[in-house]
Amino acid sequence: MSTHDEAHDSHGGGEHEEQHIHPEPTSFIRKYVFSTDHKVIAKQFIWLGLCWLAIGGTMAMMIRWQLANPGKPFPILGGLVFGASGGVVSPASYTSLFTMHGTIMIFFAITPIMIGGFGNFCIPLMIGARDMIFPLLNALSFWFMVLSSCVLVGSFFVPMGAAAAGWTNYPPLSVNIGTPGLGQTMWVLGIFLAGTSTIMGAINYITTVIRLRAPGMGYFKMPLTVWGLWLTAILNALFVPVLGSALILQFMDRVLGTHFFVAGAFVKGGGDPLLYQHLFWIFGHPEVYILILPAWGVISDLIPFFARKPAYGYKLSVFAMSMVCVLSALVYGHHMFTTSMSPLLGQGFMVLTMIISVPAEILFLNWLHTMWHGAIRTPPPMMFALGVVFVFGLGGLTGLYLATISTDLYLHDTYFVVGHFHLTMAAAVFLGSFASIYFWFPKMFGRQMNMGLAKLHFWLSFIPINVVFCIMLAVGLGGMQRRLYDPSVYTTFQSLQSLNVWISRFAYLLFFGQVFFVYNFVYSIFRGEKASENPWEVGTLEWTIPSPPPHHNYDKIPLVVTGPHEFNNPAVLKATGRDWIAQDVPIPGDLPAESQSA
Amino acid sequence: MNALVDTGPAVVMPSHLPAAPHARKRERSAYLGMAIFLGTWTMMFAGLFFSYAVVRNDAPTWPPIGEPRLPIGLPALNTLLLLGSSATLAKGLKRLRTGRATAFPGWLAATIVLGVLFLALQIHVWLSVSEGGLHASTGIYGSVFYGLTCFHALHVIAGLVILGAIAVPAFAGRNLTARYNLVRLSAMFWHFVDVVWVVMFVTVYVL
Repeated sequence: MSTHDEAHDSHGGGEHEEQHIHPEPTSFIRKYVFSTDHKVIAKQFIWLGLCWLAIGGTMAMMIRWQLANPGKPFPILGGLVFGASGGVVSPASYTSLFTMHGTIMIFFAITPIMIGGFGNFCIPLMIGARDMIFPLLNALSFWFMVLSSCVLVGSFFVPMGAAAAGWTNYPPLSVNIGTPGLGQTMWVLGIFLAGTSTIMGAINYITTVIRLRAPGMGYFKMPLTVWGLWLTAILNALFVPVLGSALILQFMDRVLGTHFFVAGAFVKGGGDPLLYQHLFWIFGHPEVYILILPAWGVISDLIPFFARKPAYGYKLSVFAMSMVCVLSALVYGHHMFTTSMSPLLGQGFMVLTMIISVPAEILFLNWLHTMWHGAIRTPPPMMFALGVVFVFGLGGLTGLYLATISTDLYLHDTYFVVGHFHLTMAAAVFLGSFASIYFWFPKMFGRQMNMGLAKLHFWLSFIPINVVFCIMLAVGLGGMQRRLYDPSVYTTFQSLQSLNVWISRFAYLLFFGQVFFVYNFVYSIFRGEKASENPWEVGTLEWTIPSPPPHHNYDKIPLVVTGPHEFNNPAVLKATGRDWIAQDVPIPGDLPAESQSA
Repeated sequence: MNALVDTGPAVVMPSHLPAAPHARKRERSAYLGMAIFLGTWTMMFAGLFFSYAVVRNDAPTWPPIGEPRLPIGLPALNTLLLLGSSATLAKGLKRLRTGRATAFPGWLAATIVLGVLFLALQIHVWLSVSEGGLHASTGIYGSVFYGLTCFHALHVIAGLVILGAIAVPAFAGRNLTARYNLVRLSAMFWHFVDVVWVVMFVTVYVL
């Protein structure tokens, strides 16, 4: 462990918050259940997210089964889950399934794993802090997520079943006339609670990054992971409340009998179903970047880490991610091209949407440039990171057709849209989550995962996920609409049925490929090979302390003098023989630390 | 592990700062967190006001034909009450900051009384409007009126609970000078609720 006592004591950055070392709690409940330690909360979030990922994935299997074998009973689980219809997915259950699949994956799998889990784990460790700035709020954020999970689970067991208005929850489907029953109301409540949890986390992350960066850790010395997570938190703080306002109005419509989203003819003065779409997408478009930004941040770090080169265009990457955040707030109308909006307005949204490709392209080229002429190592985290680059590129390119009004009018609500958003925010985030898990697992649990199984898991994820969603693009181009219960009954789509069957086969492969991850993850927590302090030989701060880190992370708050990706620096190579240097070690021959950080 | 506990501050503070810089920095962080929280809540109310603008823009006439008019006198008085409560709270806070803590409970009591009066008057307005035939379920006019004002009233109640939590030790005679920051953050929330009300008064009742 490297600290620089002298430089440390003379350091004069007055803005750094003093952080006391608190004793580690000893009782089981305080240590593992109601903990305020960011590392424990991170693990809790990841466990919660992985459980939901399994449930959401099982639902996807049921959806795919129905599309490939309409009217056949679902194997094994069918009798249990769809007992009333003899194991067959009924039309009503199908509607509920795709609604809850989307909801669960977005709000209860990706958000807890990437934002709740790695946000919590990485931010304090990577900026050299002892914990989040509001530890209690952090714990509260997790427990709100648990509460909202309970509400959501409960909604499956009420009369008329869980929500069934699609994850976008559009009226008139989502008002009492479209979907009566308590399930839909519980959905609204559950998402509101999940949003509250997210807002609590966001307030904590934003403040932590501003206030708790270690001395010398300027904004442009932060690892890009932290940048991604911080920008995510800012977007969350700004736009989740807008979803909150939509949910409040919907809740009033369903419970108090107001008429905000009830269409005009029945109402004096007229409510407006389209109003919900506006509110939803003002939140919803930033949300898709909320989901992908943490993964962008992580792979922007992993690529230089494993290409053994400094990140190409570090500041440009930061700029690009920030630009994406700004633009994401200005383009929501492209989800509503088919709502007869003014053509002028539509064109504005189209142009702004197209402009997002510029920063996205900057990021992309930075990743490729970083790898160019690098001494690339390909352990599993890097494989998953490269997988993200590939699927995100593919998904991003298909987005251009949806951003263009003339093509979107044809493609709207087809499987092309389903393929597109799954490639970008499902496949990319899915692979990005596994990149993060494989990368930080040694730091989290002090053990290594099995590399062979991890590589197998990669190929069993990467190949099927691409095949599944690429065929979906083709099916969508053939005109098949999303959310159809049984496309095989339409003559137009009968020629596409064999493609649907193939999508399902690869989806099953994808699902069963995850078995290798589950086994590897659980086995390695208890029996994995002991991990060293810095198994990946990288320089960010979390790798300067033991694996797993002690309760208070840093015995002494580090003084940061070096960038996050100083690989193959000739001076370092010459002095130490290593191709990396920790962020709290000055590069040999540089100016002394104190004059650097002043 | 225990050897590491309570070894004192790990970051040595620069000597040119005034006494107790640690507490001041905690305060600044808490202030920042509160400001971000109020920013997010501003976005939520912005969403509600946006909705109001959209439905109103959709409507051919406003209020829709056949709907009763909302009163303006009592809500105007209510606006004054709430602004007054902000003023008394600011006064009390200043007393606390300048070391005249004995004057604080009086100003806090005035704030709470004005807040409760506001709620009472608001309930009166709801009841009288309801008697006039405007209900949340009769049309979009009622939806907007009851939806927005009820949601705001929930925040007034939350604010009163927070002020009440401060009032308990204050009225018991405890000197809250040391808890100044907590009181200040609570006051920020109360002022926020007041500002939202002013916007609501202007948009829902006046315009």
